[in-house]
Amino acid sequence: MTGGRRRPLPAWFSGRVAAGLAVAVVVLAVLPVALDPYTHNLLTLTFLAISGALAWNWMGGYLGQVSFGHAAFFGFGGFVAARVLLHESIPPWVAWAAGAAAAGLFSVGAYPILRLRGPYFSIATIGLGEASRIVFTYLEGFTGGASGLSLPIDPDLKARLYWWALGLLALVAAASHLIRRSTLGLELLAIKSDVEAAADAGVPTALRQDVVLALSAAVAGATGGLSASFFAFVEPNDLFGFDRSISFVLMAVIGGVGSVFGPVLGAVVFVALRQWLVASYPQLYLGLYGGLLILIILFEPLGLTGVALRVARRFGYRARPDLALGSSAARPGRPASEAR
Amino acid sequence: MPVLRAERLVKRFGGLAAVDGVDLAVEEGEILGVIGPNGAGKTTLFALMAGSLAPTSGRVWLDGRQVSGLSAHRVVAAGIARTHQIVRPFRNLTVLENVTVAALRGAARTGSHPRALAEEVVAFVGLADRAADHPGTLTLAGRKRVELARALATGPRVLLLDEVIAGLNPAEAQRLAGLVREIRDQRGVTVVMIEHVMAAVMALSDRVAVLDYGRKIAEGSPAEVVRDPHVVEAYLGSGAAAEVHP
Amino acid sequence: MQRLVDLAVSAVLLAGLYAAMAYGLGLVYGVLRVVNLAHAGVIMAGAYAGWVLHRALGLDPYLSLPLVVAGSFVLGVGVYVLLVRHLPRGAAGGPQSLLLLFGVWLVLRNVAYLLFTGDDHVIRTGYSTRAVPFLGTWLPVNRLAVFGIAVAVPLALHLLLRHTYAGRAIRAVAQNADSCTLVGIDVERVYALTFGLGTALAGLAGLLSATLFSFNPAFGSSELLKSFVVVVLGGLGSIAGTGVAALILASVEAYSILVLPAYLTSAVGFVMLVVVLVLRPGGLFGQRVLG
Repeated sequence: MTGGRRRPLPAWFSGRVAAGLAVAVVVLAVLPVALDPYTHNLLTLTFLAISGALAWNWMGGYLGQVSFGHAAFFGFGGFVAARVLLHESIPPWVAWAAGAAAAGLFSVGAYPILRLRGPYFSIATIGLGEASRIVFTYLEGFTGGASGLSLPIDPDLKARLYWWALGLLALVAAASHLIRRSTLGLELLAIKSDVEAAADAGVPTALRQDVVLALSAAVAGATGGLSASFFAFVEPNDLFGFDRSISFVLMAVIGGVGSVFGPVLGAVVFVALRQWLVASYPQLYLGLYGGLLILIILFEPLGLTGVALRVARRFGYRARPDLALGSSAARPGRPASEAR
Repeated sequence: MPVLRAERLVKRFGGLAAVDGVDLAVEEGEILGVIGPNGAGKTTLFALMAGSLAPTSGRVWLDGRQVSGLSAHRVVAAGIARTHQIVRPFRNLTVLENVTVAALRGAARTGSHPRALAEEVVAFVGLADRAADHPGTLTLAGRKRVELARALATGPRVLLLDEVIAGLNPAEAQRLAGLVREIRDQRGVTVVMIEHVMAAVMALSDRVAVLDYGRKIAEGSPAEVVRDPHVVEAYLGSGAAAEVHP
Repeated sequence: MQRLVDLAVSAVLLAGLYAAMAYGLGLVYGVLRVVNLAHAGVIMAGAYAGWVLHRALGLDPYLSLPLVVAGSFVLGVGVYVLLVRHLPRGAAGGPQSLLLLFGVWLVLRNVAYLLFTGDDHVIRTGYSTRAVPFLGTWLPVNRLAVFGIAVAVPLALHLLLRHTYAGRAIRAVAQNADSCTLVGIDVERVYALTFGLGTALAGLAGLLSATLFSFNPAFGSSELLKSFVVVVLGGLGSIAGTGVAALILASVEAYSILVLPAYLTSAVGFVMLVVVLVLRPGGLFGQRVLG
């Protein structure tokens, strides 16, 4: 180490990323002065989508555990928040925090399934999503059944959700980076590669997975809560629906499963795509999503991040081969002229 | 007191007993070789001692503390680390990162910094110049060293090496054998090694235990064990023992 | 008491169907190590195929069986050759194969929505409502027929796997695909064949289900779950195990009606899945199922 008295920065801190994030947040925070209400609200929803996609990616990308049932967490958090929101005297952020906490606990409570590996985990999440939808639609006292719950409408809050959602996004994005670059990220990648060997190397695999899942679920729950405030209406078949679960998967896959910030791009593209589809070809959305999944998996499994990497290589930047997939010590591209 | 002790270990898979009542005592600071014909249960024994598998019955003690029944990562935390017969490096991580994952445990034990420990161990096994590469780009010898480094970085009391030398050419085998001795000599780690390469076993081991059909059939110094008629019979079949002259 | 007998009989009849569904999934998983999420979609497709043939051509579902099964087989082979084959080696069972087949499932669903809208349908024939007396209860003829076919077909397939060259090739590939190339087995063809067989069974199960239950394009996901339960519980390749597991699942479902409100019984499959996966940590091939 140097002779100076300053402690070296921890490995997970990247000045570049921190600066980039800060700039993005500032720009986005100021942006609404120039926006019409429609775009303003669309961005709010986009921020929520991005947060959800990033959080899904912690499981699907970092750990390699593909969840087809994240709607269960989104929905549970959404409904818990909604029930709190019904009491207008309680500040909304308390409701959202409650939703997040509830979703996190829900995932912990479901731990028997959620400690499974690979395809078993994925199938179990399909079941979790479906079972949640069925059970919560049945629990009419809690969710209002198929008619759902109407929440007090507050146009002022709806506009302010923009900054709340942005704040959540900033947190989630920072966390995404932190997790990946920390020793936790390293352990997650090891687990993803070979869970038994990871355990043999001393990694407490089950605990790590529980923690990441709880965080992922909490974020999904938080976005559910904010979404509840946005629409001022919640309904179990929507919040817990298969379509909802699919959206998480698709956003991450489009952007690049396993990359750190790929899901950001993926969510933006997905939201735009969905807007267009709803307007132009509403009856084709499932097939288009399916087709996209197929094409991406077959031709560019890293989605848009993969495409970006290819382009970067064309221009002489040699990103580390596993930049998107792997190492926490990933550094931005270096010119190809540098000897390996 | 032996640093590692296995007491009447049994592991059944369905009706088959892969390990059938094995007692083993490993003294601190020794290199114990474990040999036996294929299918004798050696790797299963390691798996039982390292917590990868739970024993059907029997117990394992480390420094007098029972570790049988603990999950693999807890056994590592207690102080037993193993390598795998077929190496399993983390393919998505670099060599240094592979070792760093393990060093998180080892550093906790010694209070040092994981990265520093990982770098030291990587240098110790001779991979300092390949630290930033992925295991896929290494030769088998290199990958075995990664595996070894990873186990070592957990800071174990006892290292279980499963055929680290098999499959290497003579020069590499020599170097790796030397490394194993250094691990014991310089780092004070007790080593138990499964090996088929007899020359390595004879040269490195202080004592040798022989397994056959899940049971220990002989134990002693390398020279004694090699002449034991039971051992010869296990490897070469009955009738061969009669031809061995003491 | 009579109710209990009724439920038991009901369970047995249903178990046949579950066994047929599961066998296909298990076959693909055992040989290709791929969990075919599109299994759900093909079940749904089989149901619709039978329904269409019945509506358009008046074809009795049991007569259209060969057609539907053949069609499902071709569909499966097509999916394999066009899509699954191109997955990188070692991706089997990994996120990529899951996502790919999930995509296929979505496409199948959309096609169904486009062609048939989201309405519920069921295949009703002239004898759908007929029943024969048995043990003091009435056995619906269609359930009996479903049981018979559902049991016969996997059994026949199982015998084929045991006694034909193709069957032995499939089993060999399941054990060690690399070695198979050394002895001249065309592994890719075996994979395609197996995938097709798996989907053929799914189509069969879908057609049979359509004669018993109503379905819509979302049909198939709980069937997928149940198939998975049976596969994990019953073990791979064991026809007896599959049968027993199917029976257990069907029984739990049947008797759950006694304690659960009807609407919730569809969640039973999921609960069974959890129980099974947790209690059988050996999973398949003795892999660790738990993280």
